[in-house]
Amino acid sequence: MTALLLALLLQAAPAAAAAAPAEGPAARAEATAPLPGQTAADHDDRREREEEGLGQVIMHHVTDQPVFGLPSKHLLYFVISALLVIAGTRSAVRSYRGGLVPHGIGAAVESLVLFVRDEIALPNIGQDDGRRFTPLLCSFFFFILVAALLGLVPLPGYQAGHWFFASTTATGNLAVTMGLALVSFAAQQYAGISKYGLIRHFRNLVPSGLPVLLLPIMIPVEIISMFTKPFALMIRLFANMLAGHMVVTTLILLISLMAQIHWLGGVVMAPVSIVLSVFILLLEVLVAFIQAYIFTLLSAIFIGMYAHPAH
Amino acid sequence: MDPKTLAFFAAGIGAGLTIMGGAAGIGRLAAAAMEGIARQPNAAGDIRGAMIVAAGLIEGVTFFALVVTAILAFK
Repeated sequence: MTALLLALLLQAAPAAAAAAPAEGPAARAEATAPLPGQTAADHDDRREREEEGLGQVIMHHVTDQPVFGLPSKHLLYFVISALLVIAGTRSAVRSYRGGLVPHGIGAAVESLVLFVRDEIALPNIGQDDGRRFTPLLCSFFFFILVAALLGLVPLPGYQAGHWFFASTTATGNLAVTMGLALVSFAAQQYAGISKYGLIRHFRNLVPSGLPVLLLPIMIPVEIISMFTKPFALMIRLFANMLAGHMVVTTLILLISLMAQIHWLGGVVMAPVSIVLSVFILLLEVLVAFIQAYIFTLLSAIFIGMYAHPAH
Repeated sequence: MDPKTLAFFAAGIGAGLTIMGGAAGIGRLAAAAMEGIARQPNAAGDIRGAMIVAAGLIEGVTFFALVVTAILAFK
């Protein structure tokens, strides 16, 4: 249920942010990407000019594009990932059938949920607070994992008269990771304020028994660190997902680049590029798991820091 | 030299320096983890978990610099 609310909440954040695609630095660089209002002819002109802007071509493929008439590729995959998470967990809950032993997909989901609760939530947040925040951490973990794995499946997209390879990681958009980081930030503040009240939560930032001379240094440092933690989460997830896709796109584009010099160059380059791309995609699977785990773990650590200030 | 050339040049050097710092940090981390596992093989699971977390954090910092380099190269 919390996963459903969280998914709805998360849909609101990037939907509002995708309307202003100048959120992220990568989006600002898409000067030559087709905007939703442009026609097929403009897009074909741009494709003819591909040779003169290798950087623009790469950015064209890894940043947000219109697909199927919808304004945003990342938003479409975001919604598909959220629906997959909701459907998967609902069928997992249904597989319990009133007993205590789940079957099929329920067993896999149960083992992951137990992993999140026993390894990530309880050691970092504490016993009863950990159980309160486990649904949120499970939502983070499953959503990031499903979004990253979905971005590796090659699915076709159709826009402006031509089919193209449209498969992207929803978390490879700065707006989506900003939404996730904002939810994490809100959870951290909620953890502190619901336990200690508004004033004491901020007074907990600086340890007691500190020499007064250090206060002018400690207070700005603590306040800034309160904001840099979600910012670091955002950038880390975004850059990991984006870097994987950028490397694969570059490797595939090398085939076309070599083929423009001489057609034999393309033939020779193709097996090399494809093998390297397969390895990079395998690495991406591992990176997907690791990044989901690190986002969830760091969120749990930060929530624990505000719920139990150990100073 | 016009600014665009300098920007590409700086992006290249920046990417190299970034990867030098990141690889040196993760290399030291991996060496310490190997040593720890060699000394106490039954702590291998904990050490491996801590190593992955630390590697993720160091790579996060590396990616900050990489994002700056990418902005330089593509803008």
